[in-house]
Amino acid sequence: MTRKSWKLEIPLHIMILPGLVFVLIFSYGPMVGISIAFQHFMLGKGMFGSEWVGLDNFKYVYSLPDTFRVIRNTVVISVMKIAAGLIAPIVTALLLNEVRLRLFKRTVQTMIYLPHFLSWVILSGILMEVLSPTTGIVNDLLARLGFERIFFLGRKEWFPVVMVVTDVWKEFGFNTIVYLAALSGINPVLYEAAVVDGANRWKQTIHVTLPGMAPIIVLLATLSLGNVLNAGFDQIFNLYSPSVYETGDILDTYVYRLGLTNGQFGVATAVGLFKSVISLVLISLSYFLAYRFANYRIF
Amino acid sequence: MASAKLTKRIAVALIAALTVLAGCGTNSTGSQSGGDSGSGSQSSAQTATPQPTAAPAASGGKNIPDGPEGKYDPPIHVTSVRGVTPGIEYLPDQTIENNVWTREFESELGIKLDYEWVVYNDQYNNKINVTMVSGDMPDFFLVNMQQFQTLAQAGQLADLTDLFEKYASPLVKEIFAENNAIRYKAGTVNGRLLGLAYNGGSLDDAHLLYIREDWMKKLGRTAPRTIDELVDLAIAFAKEDPDSNGIDDTYGLLINKELFGGFASIDGFVNGFGGYAYNPAGGSGTNLIFLKDQNGQAIWGDVQPEVKQALGKLAEMFKAGAIHPEFSVMDASRAAEMLTSHKVGMTFGAFWVPTWPINNMHNENPEVDWDVYEIPTLTGEPGVVQSMGGTPNSFIVVPKSSEHPEAIIKILNYSTERISGSKKDVGKYHTMTVDGKDYGIHMLTPYYVATSEKNQNYHYQVLEAFKMGDPSGLDEEGRLYYDQLVAFAEGDRSQWVHHKLWNEGGVFEKLGRYKREGRILQSAYTGAPTPTMLSRGTALRDLQVRTFTEIIMGSKPLDAFDEFVQQWYDQGGRDILEEVNASGQVQ
Repeated sequence: MTRKSWKLEIPLHIMILPGLVFVLIFSYGPMVGISIAFQHFMLGKGMFGSEWVGLDNFKYVYSLPDTFRVIRNTVVISVMKIAAGLIAPIVTALLLNEVRLRLFKRTVQTMIYLPHFLSWVILSGILMEVLSPTTGIVNDLLARLGFERIFFLGRKEWFPVVMVVTDVWKEFGFNTIVYLAALSGINPVLYEAAVVDGANRWKQTIHVTLPGMAPIIVLLATLSLGNVLNAGFDQIFNLYSPSVYETGDILDTYVYRLGLTNGQFGVATAVGLFKSVISLVLISLSYFLAYRFANYRIF
Repeated sequence: MASAKLTKRIAVALIAALTVLAGCGTNSTGSQSGGDSGSGSQSSAQTATPQPTAAPAASGGKNIPDGPEGKYDPPIHVTSVRGVTPGIEYLPDQTIENNVWTREFESELGIKLDYEWVVYNDQYNNKINVTMVSGDMPDFFLVNMQQFQTLAQAGQLADLTDLFEKYASPLVKEIFAENNAIRYKAGTVNGRLLGLAYNGGSLDDAHLLYIREDWMKKLGRTAPRTIDELVDLAIAFAKEDPDSNGIDDTYGLLINKELFGGFASIDGFVNGFGGYAYNPAGGSGTNLIFLKDQNGQAIWGDVQPEVKQALGKLAEMFKAGAIHPEFSVMDASRAAEMLTSHKVGMTFGAFWVPTWPINNMHNENPEVDWDVYEIPTLTGEPGVVQSMGGTPNSFIVVPKSSEHPEAIIKILNYSTERISGSKKDVGKYHTMTVDGKDYGIHMLTPYYVATSEKNQNYHYQVLEAFKMGDPSGLDEEGRLYYDQLVAFAEGDRSQWVHHKLWNEGGVFEKLGRYKREGRILQSAYTGAPTPTMLSRGTALRDLQVRTFTEIIMGSKPLDAFDEFVQQWYDQGGRDILEEVNASGQVQ
């Protein structure tokens, strides 16, 4: 019996192999490079010849006056992104689920999904035009409605907001589809039973739909927590400028300027390692919380 | 049945994918360890033999042809990498990889040149950093001063001292010996020549003021001699509708978000106050201008009170609407669009501004005209402008791993001889004119040098000949410029660029006056970036650009400058000054 099932499973194991090899090469292999974080990395001497400096790179980053501001920006922007990025697609999915007209539902679904495929390099060019205080359509609209024109990308109080809104706009269509898939998996019998018990649409949503979606919501929320220190390099790098560094400069852009353009690879790696450790802690924590409170297990 | 077939196919596909992945893996690890062990063996070779170039020279030794332009037989294969200007235009049969130079290197020198990658200049710095770290370096490449230092300290560079002595042509040697041999000295580390200076010795980057002449006439104004007149004119450009379209959409002075540099920057404006500030984006906070105080000690230009005064004036102009409200998010190419779409009336910039971005404006619309002026000053007296072009800040280097370290010297000989030497052929090697459009062929060779005052001298010669109507005393290149001036005078508007460069009232006349009257100020420090500049430069530049931008935009009061000065000293500036003063390279 076990022999037979083993035989049956062989194709499955083969199928998982490429993924494993991929992970080994591209995720575990480069981890050797972590050693650079503890070195005064010199070109040419390489990873094995450079001088070991212990925690000097970390101390250096700690000593920079902007580090804490940058960490704060990173956390603020990404927490807002995670929260908004959870709520928007759930609400959209619930609303779309109530739509009877299939054509309309499909059209909306496709339309909100489209921005997901555009790169930030292209979008940043478009956004700069659209949000321009002098010639942009958004500000023309604001002005016509009697509001003051707002320099969205140049004012530090607005910049993080714009980052969150545009990021959610770009990505929520994709997540909506994930939630719609979860919705279609809910057993119709549950709705019929709820109707028999006298539940209206609202009660059905609260008591059947949402609990049915709970596992996938918890899963996506848990996974996204690991990204708390990834506030979106592509997006911010293409849209920021020195005047919004105070609220818009995040760890990745900071390290890019500090490490890559100046060739301080040890420092850049140290910050990368710091990010990874924090992410690991957060993922473990959120996994534990999900298990404790939602009784949800990934593994 | 069908599904069984499918499974089989999937299995085959998977196996194929696996082989590819496995191939990838061995490849990447293979090349990596190869690179590491390679550098390892080299460093051990270095300790073993006093002459580091012995190994590569020996391996290629049998094959190196004598003379500056001797031909390799059999031909050799040489690799490099390249950054190009974003707006570069090619002739139909020329690309950066395949042009008159690469073809002749192959046929005449026996050198087949291949570029491993080509990117726009603004991405070059990061890309070359990554290439250097990968250890897989091409046979020669261009680096900035800081990268040159890093590579030299890491012992990565081939010693070119003897090769330069043996293979460089007399002309190249002569140019390297110019100006107290500044090119040679800048590339020398501990007495050995490790890098060939790519630029330097030139003062042509000093700022000039460019003004829309047609707008100025329309508003009945004259060119500003003082800062106050400049501010007046800028506000007039913004408020008095110089383009007569009835919409308030024009601005007086163009600035981009990086604040410093060769175009749409504040350098020239600050010079007008007797202040000297420089900290460009590409310099990562290490390309700085230092002055000397009364005691002969180096001080940093950007924190002096004159700079504060200049910022105050800029804030005033911003408030009056003379500076674009979005300048803080505009990069240089977006700023250039503002000019070419007729939105801005003035910009400070280097001598090349007529060649880009305003080069085609007059041709497209004959009513549009830009004129060149010296910088206005507070008092109206002639101003002293800064120049950072004297000391070389980029170098061609050859890694030790190169099998043909002398190849680049041959390329340098060959190109220099044909661009500014005895084998000069302007139409073929320098600038080719097709259908009235000029193509810069000289930009396609990876490396050539020219005497630093070359353009300035041509200005004098060509202008003289043009006034006399007699080009007989000019050499071929001078003749080209002469013909371009004549063509413009006869109504060929496409030659406007050359009119602005060479003619009376053009950029080289103004630059010539700066030079003759000794009104160009260079940094007092000529050495390499100091350790604190490297470690703190980026953060300090952030601080500076942020503060300056906020002051100009009025979101911070002018006194925030004093706070910035204090922070600069506290966060590393003091150490930088100490290192600079201790370097012995303050002149």
